[in-house]
Amino acid sequence: MGIYELINFYVIPGLVLGSIYALGAVGITLVFGILRFAHLAHGDLATFGAFTALAVVATTGVNPWIALPVAMVICAALAVGIDKVFYDYLSERPKIITVMASLGIALMLRSLIQVIWGVDTETYTRGIVRPDNYWGFRIRDRELYTLLAMFAITGALWLFLQKTKWGKAMRAMSDNPDLALLSGVDNRLTTMLTWAIVGALCAASGFFLGLNTELKSMMGWTMLLPMFAAAILGGVGRVEGAVLGGLVVGVAEELSVLVLPSEYKAAMAFAILIVILLVRPTGLLKGKLL
Amino acid sequence: MKLAKILMAGALATTALTTAAMADVKVGLLGGISGPIAAMSPSMIAASKLAIAQVNAQGGVLGGQKLEAILGDSACNPQNGVDAATKLVNVEQIVGLIGPHCSGAVLAVANSVTIPAGVALITPSGTSPEITGLDDGDKVFRTVPSDDYQGRALARTLLAQGTKKVAVAYLNNDYGSGLAGAFKAEFTSKGGEVAGYAAHEEGKASYRSNLAELASGGADTLVIFDYGDGTGLTILRQSLENGFFENFVGGDGMKSEAIIKELGAENLTTFTSSSPVGEASDSNAKFTKAFTEAGGSADAIFATTSYDAAFLMALGVEIAGGDKAKVAAAIASASNGEGEKVEAGEWKKALELIKAGKAIDYQGASGSLDFNAKGDVPGSYALFKVDGDSFSVKTTMK
Amino acid sequence: MELLGYLNYAVYMAIFIGIYAILALALNIQWGFTGLFNAGVAGFFAVGAYTSAILTSAAAEGRLGGYELPVIVGWLASMLAAGAIAWPIGKICLRFRSDYLAIATIGIAEIIRLVIKSEGWLTGGARGISKIPRPFSDFEYLYTQLSYLALVMIALFLVYYMIERQLKAPWGRMMRAIRDNEAAANAMGKNIEARRLQAFVFGSAIMGLGGAMLAHYYRSITPEAIDPMIATFLVWIMLILGGSGNNKGAILGVVVVWIIWSMSEFVTDSLPAEYAIKAKYLRIFIIGLLLQLVLRFRPEGILPETAKSSTSTSDQQTSNNNKGEAEPSPAQSA
Repeated sequence: MGIYELINFYVIPGLVLGSIYALGAVGITLVFGILRFAHLAHGDLATFGAFTALAVVATTGVNPWIALPVAMVICAALAVGIDKVFYDYLSERPKIITVMASLGIALMLRSLIQVIWGVDTETYTRGIVRPDNYWGFRIRDRELYTLLAMFAITGALWLFLQKTKWGKAMRAMSDNPDLALLSGVDNRLTTMLTWAIVGALCAASGFFLGLNTELKSMMGWTMLLPMFAAAILGGVGRVEGAVLGGLVVGVAEELSVLVLPSEYKAAMAFAILIVILLVRPTGLLKGKLL
Repeated sequence: MKLAKILMAGALATTALTTAAMADVKVGLLGGISGPIAAMSPSMIAASKLAIAQVNAQGGVLGGQKLEAILGDSACNPQNGVDAATKLVNVEQIVGLIGPHCSGAVLAVANSVTIPAGVALITPSGTSPEITGLDDGDKVFRTVPSDDYQGRALARTLLAQGTKKVAVAYLNNDYGSGLAGAFKAEFTSKGGEVAGYAAHEEGKASYRSNLAELASGGADTLVIFDYGDGTGLTILRQSLENGFFENFVGGDGMKSEAIIKELGAENLTTFTSSSPVGEASDSNAKFTKAFTEAGGSADAIFATTSYDAAFLMALGVEIAGGDKAKVAAAIASASNGEGEKVEAGEWKKALELIKAGKAIDYQGASGSLDFNAKGDVPGSYALFKVDGDSFSVKTTMK
Repeated sequence: MELLGYLNYAVYMAIFIGIYAILALALNIQWGFTGLFNAGVAGFFAVGAYTSAILTSAAAEGRLGGYELPVIVGWLASMLAAGAIAWPIGKICLRFRSDYLAIATIGIAEIIRLVIKSEGWLTGGARGISKIPRPFSDFEYLYTQLSYLALVMIALFLVYYMIERQLKAPWGRMMRAIRDNEAAANAMGKNIEARRLQAFVFGSAIMGLGGAMLAHYYRSITPEAIDPMIATFLVWIMLILGGSGNNKGAILGVVVVWIIWSMSEFVTDSLPAEYAIKAKYLRIFIIGLLLQLVLRFRPEGILPETAKSSTSTSDQQTSNNNKGEAEPSPAQSA
C-alpha cells in the first residue's frame, strides 16, 4: 500500500472523524473539569444542534455554514436553560445524581428531536461531493473546512480560557470552586458561561457530523462513548488534551481496520484508552485526577 | 413509596380508561419505534395500518366489527419488546400479534409471551434463521423470507450477469450477517470470487478505511447488506465519493427511498438492489397504488411484508371466527398455495370466499407467501435499478 | 378473562423487577457500599447470560453448545464466569478512580458486546442463542410464569440475605470505612486493594446471575439485550433513584423505575390514533421527565442510606451524609 493511499483512505478520514470527536470531547472535558460530572446528554444535545441547523437551512434556504452559528447560539441557550431548570438545584448533591439527571435529559432531548423532526435520515445538501485532488492528496472541501473549523473553534476557546477574565474565572473554578468563590469569582455566572460554551460546541460537533455523513435521530447517542473516551484520553479538564484525544481516537479507529477485523473498529477507542490510563493515569496531557 | 403508589394508581386508572373505550377486535402491532431502527419503523407501521384500514373499509371482521391495531414499542430490544408484548397480550387482550420488528425481540417475545399464551405472531422483518427453529407449536410466522434464500438468489443472479468478483460489506446484525453468509457460500460454490468480506458496526461517521480495505482485493463490485436509511447510506455515499467501486448491489434493505432522496438518482446509475416482488400477480401493484395514495412510499424497507403481515392477521382472525386459539392455524391455511387467490386489498372478496366456506390463498404484496411447515415463506425476488425518483425492475432473480 | 390478563401482567412485572433487582443489588455492592463506579454492568450481565445459555441449551450448528446441563448448573457457572472475567478487569482497572473507572468499564463492556456480536462460533454472533431451557416451561402460561417468579424471588432473597449478612459482618463495616475515608482505613492497615477487588468480583458475579436469569426467562439471548442503555444505564437509574447504599432502596428503585417505564405506555396510548407513533417518542420524554421529578424531590434516593436502621434522620442530615459518603469529592481523593 502506498503512502498516498494510507493518507487518503485512512489518515484523512481519521482526522475528520477525530475533529468531530474532538469538538464533542472538548465540551465533555469542560463539564468534567469545571462542573465535575459526566454529561451523558452531550450526544443528544449535539443531535439537537445538528437538527436545529437543518431547520434553519430548510426554512430559510441559506447555506449550511450560515446555519451553524445560529444553531450554536440556540444550543447554547438550550444548554443554559437545561442547567437552570434541571441541573442547577442538584449541584450541592452528590455528582452521580446530576449524571443520572443528564441521562434523563438525553432521553428527553432525543424524544423531542423525534417528535419535532421525525426519524428519517436527512442531509444538509442533496447529492454527493467528490474529493478534490491536492498533489495526490484527496480531500473533500467540507472535510478541509471541518478540520479548519475545529482548530479555529477550539483555538479560540483556548485563547478565551487563557487570556480573558471570564476564561480565567472558569479555570479557577475548575481548579478549586471554593477558593474561586472566595477570590471573587461568581460561580453562578461562570457555570452559565460554561454551559453556553458547551452547548455551542455540541451544536458544532453535531453539525460537522451531519455535514460529513447524514443526520439521524440517534447519531449523537452512538457518538457519546468514543467522545468520552477521547476526553479522558486527553486528560480531564484540558481543552488541548481533548482535541488531541479526539484526533488520536479518530485516526486509530480508521487505522485499526488494517490490523483488526472491521467489526472491532468501535473497540479501538476503548482499547487505547485503557492502555493509556495504565501507562499515564492522567491521560495524554496531564489532566486532573478526579 | 407514596410516590410509587400514586404513580401506580395513576397508571392503572389510565389503563382502565383505555380498556373502557375498547374496540371490537384487537390485534397488536409491535414495532421498533424508538431505538436503532426508528427510521424504518414508521413506514412499516403505516403499511400495516393500511391493511387494517382496508379491512375496516370493506366490511370489517367477524360480521362487521372493526379491527383495531394497538401499537406497542419494542425499542428493538428484548426487554422492552417483552414488556410491550406482555401488555398487549394480557392487558389489551389482543387476538394476534403483528411484529415485533427485530429478530432479538421476536425470539424473546415468542418464547416468553406469545407461545405460552397461545397467541399467533407474524413478524414482517425478523430475518434471523433462529426464528425458523423455534418450538412454537406452529404459532410463529414471518412474511419476510429467511435471509438464506435472498442471499443465495442474489449470488446466482450476479453470476448470471457475468459478475465474477465482488467485495461484501455487511452490517453486523442478524439481518446483515445472515444475508452475507448465505451470499458468500453460494457465490463461491458457484465459481465466483469474494475478494473482500467485512462486517461493520452501525453509527460510525466514517467507513472509508473499511471500504479501502475491501477495495484492496481488486473487485469492482461492492455488495452491501445493510439498511438504506442507516449505515448503508453512509457506506454507499463514501464509496461513490471516493470511487472505491464501480458497481453497487444491495440487499432488500438497500432499496430505500432515502438512497435516491439523499444521493440523487444521477449518481446511482450503477446501483442495483434486490427486493421481493409479487410473482405472477399484480398484488404488489395494488399495494403500491393504495400505499402511495395513503401518503407512503412503497419503496420503504419491509413495507410490503408489513402490509402482508397485517392482512394475513386479519384473514386469520376472520377464518378463526375471532377465536384466539385458532388464529395461527387459520393464518397457515390462508396462504399455503391452495385455494382461491386473494390479492392485496381484496378484503371483500376474501370475506365472500370465507363465508362460502372456500379455501383462500393470499397472494401478498411481497410475493405469493405460501407458508411452509415452519411458518417461513420462500419469497420471490427481482433486481431493481434506480429509474427517475423510484426503482424499477431490471431482472428477475432465480 | 380480563382479570387473568392483569394477573399475568403483574406476574411478568414481578419477574422482571425481581431480575433487575438482583442487578441493582449487585451494583449496590460495588457503588453503594464500596464506591466503585462500574459503568459496565452490561458486560458482566452478558457474560453470565451467554455462559448459562451455552451450557444449558441444545446443540446448534455453527456455535459452541450442546452440553444441556441442568439450569442450576448454568446459573452457578454464570456467576463463576462473570466473576472470573471481573477478576482480571478489577486487577487492572480498580486503580483508576471514579470517573476513569467508569469509562474504562464502559469500554470493557463495549468490547465484550462486540466480541459476542462478532464471534459467531462461540455465541451465535448476531443471531444469538435460542431454545434456552426455562424450568417449568411445560405448564400453562400463568403457572409457568408463577413458577419462574418463585425461582426469581428465591434467588433475589438469597442475594439480598447474603449481602445484608456480609454488610453486618466486619467485612461490611470495613468496606464502608474504605469508601468513606480511604486514608484512615489504609492507616489502620486494611488491605484496600484486595477488599475493593473482592467487592468488584462479588458484585459482578451477581450481575452474571441476573443476566442468566433474564436469558432463561426469555429463553433466548441476543446482542440487542446487552445494549448499554437497557443493561447498564437503566440499572444505574434504578439504584440511584432508589437510594444507593440501601438494599431496600435499591429494590424499591427498580420497582418505581420499571413501573414508570412500563406503564408510561398506557398513558401515551390514550392520545388520539393519528399521534400513535409520536406518542411512543413522547413516552421516552415522559420517562425522562419523571426521572427528573424523582431526582428533584428525592435527590438522595427514595430510601436513602442510613447509618442506623432507623429512618428518623432529617433530610438535611441525610443529604449531608450522602454528599460526603457517596462520592469522594475531588479534593479528598486527589
